[in-house]
Amino acid sequence: MDITETKHEQYSVFKLDGRLDSNTAMGFEQKLFDCIENGTQRLILDFQDLDYISSAGLRVILKATKNLKSAEGKLVLCAMQDYVKEVFEISGFDSFLPIEATLDDAIKTV
Amino acid sequence: MAHFENPEQKKPMGSISFALKNNLSELDVLCEHLSGFCRSCGVSKRQTFEINLALDELFTNIINHGFTDGDEHHVQVTCVSEDNALKITIEDDGIPFNPTDAPHPNLKCAFKDREIGGLGIHLIRSYMDHIEYRRRGGKNVLVLTKEL
Repeated sequence: MDITETKHEQYSVFKLDGRLDSNTAMGFEQKLFDCIENGTQRLILDFQDLDYISSAGLRVILKATKNLKSAEGKLVLCAMQDYVKEVFEISGFDSFLPIEATLDDAIKTV
Repeated sequence: MAHFENPEQKKPMGSISFALKNNLSELDVLCEHLSGFCRSCGVSKRQTFEINLALDELFTNIINHGFTDGDEHHVQVTCVSEDNALKITIEDDGIPFNPTDAPHPNLKCAFKDREIGGLGIHLIRSYMDHIEYRRRGGKNVLVLTKEL
């Protein structure tokens, strides 16, 4: 899985390309938490090119959301394939995570 | 007159069987085999994703919790295409574990109490139509059925 991080003044965008599973989740967690520890508290995960997610990926997102909420930060997800979105719905994650249709919408929300 | 059946002819039209080593990097091998098989059976991309996810969750669980000896083990995966269904059998010689007994996660609790435990098996239950477990010959044998 390729991860591209783009820093903006107010927020950072992580674009994920490929498969987020128990094989790749640890590398993703590392990058995400490096960014949070460096002081970024508003994050967007762009799932436009994400083909796959398992509960190992959900675990990282839950951990990051908890971490950011305690610091009054925010995590917004966007541009998911419909079958990826269904994984979030089945897991009940859509009840506490903002999921936007497009990156533009996510930038307005974050 | 005695009638001898050719055992080859009794084999289902579409089936595949492969072994995965007890290493998470084998998830890519799982995906590759499964995608190829599903394509040849005309299974939709969405259903292929759902089957892949269920097998991934199960395999990851076996690798993370099934083996305590540090040795190399094999997890055998067999997929059979039946009328309007795919039947998948997963066999491992890890410690006995029956996923059908696993507790259901609480998905409605407050956000701060949300935990990730149990979510993998919840996804397997959600995406598969039938799950059957038995312990046979020192192995966990799980049969998953996905209606197409």
